[in-house]
Amino acid sequence: MLQLKQLMHKSLLAMLGSAALAASSVAVADSALLDIAKAKSDQCVEDTAEMRTNHMEKILHQRDKTMREGIRTKQYSLKECINCHVEENSQARAGDKDHFCSSCHSYAAVTIDCFQCHADRPAPASRNSVKTSSLQESTDTSETGVSQ
Amino acid sequence: MSKETINISRRGFVEKTATTFAGISIVPGVFLHQVANAKPADQPATADNRWGMLIDTNKCASGCTACVSACNEENGIKTSDHPNHDNQTTTQQWIRKVKLRDKQTGHVVSLPMMCQHCEHPPCVDVCPTGASMKRADGIVMVDRHICIGCRYCMMACPYKARSFAHETVEDPKEYAPRGKGTVESCTLCVHRVDEGGTPACVEACNEAEHGAMIFGDLKDPNSAISQELKKHGGKQIRADLGLNTGVRYQGI
Repeated sequence: MLQLKQLMHKSLLAMLGSAALAASSVAVADSALLDIAKAKSDQCVEDTAEMRTNHMEKILHQRDKTMREGIRTKQYSLKECINCHVEENSQARAGDKDHFCSSCHSYAAVTIDCFQCHADRPAPASRNSVKTSSLQESTDTSETGVSQ
Repeated sequence: MSKETINISRRGFVEKTATTFAGISIVPGVFLHQVANAKPADQPATADNRWGMLIDTNKCASGCTACVSACNEENGIKTSDHPNHDNQTTTQQWIRKVKLRDKQTGHVVSLPMMCQHCEHPPCVDVCPTGASMKRADGIVMVDRHICIGCRYCMMACPYKARSFAHETVEDPKEYAPRGKGTVESCTLCVHRVDEGGTPACVEACNEAEHGAMIFGDLKDPNSAISQELKKHGGKQIRADLGLNTGVRYQGI
């Protein structure tokens, strides 16, 4: 009888313990959600509610427009999501909890494969300037090439 | 008398030459205007353009790989960072240098070989998912969003222009996404072309002062490439296949 009492006592303790654990894991998840990386701008391209629900549709639509037709508008492009939501020198990589996209997707248990191919950080400013100057050079050389 | 005739004809020659030079000097202006008026970002590529390339193999230096390095740098292709997978036959190459030797005369020709951007691309014909595609302006690409990596297109391409990405791509360039498990090939630097720019290989060839590659619009009769093709012509490799390639060669 005594043994049974002890067993009940133990199992009650175990139940209480697991409840406490569950509560703490909820707290961790909430704080993870609150830690979403900040955007550079106050306002996204659409309201927050719209973006939360439909961002994937917009990116998917833009993806086909860009890939197939060469339409390169910035409003719904994945590159612009990254440019605005991830700091240039950020150490956070796709898959890390502090990466903007992953912070929410890991909470929602959604696996995305965008970053198996796409860059998860904005281009360093130096790279952009190099690209522009090389474009300029190409214009110059083509000019001399034709006039010769 | 005869002396005077000669003098007159000389004057005529000088006048004509001057006019010709004046005519040519307009051409760069036209070309620059075109570059300045790149396709607006919100407009799709149209069939009004057909992008192509003309390669003069007489100017292409044997041993020079400026175009290859420029392509690798531009598109983030690293061939040496996979120590466990260092097989030259399976590393990606969007552009490669090919040496042709005439057995009879011993004449050696060096040329860059890449996707020929065919009007009737066999890679597009065989693709089971529609990932292999040709844009309205003639650029042939792989939509890696829907590529399943079956590699049918690699088998179909007569130019061996496509590669399979066997390894995870670290730090892809933001304008040139690349990923493991898909087929990839020369995009004619579509991200640059859409901004009115020139492919990286052409730029590198000009910087190396070989000037063997001309990029331009085959449908614009005033473009440098069309003018050169009209004047000196250009050959397709495997013209017998009737693919009407966008990349043409001189001196082969």
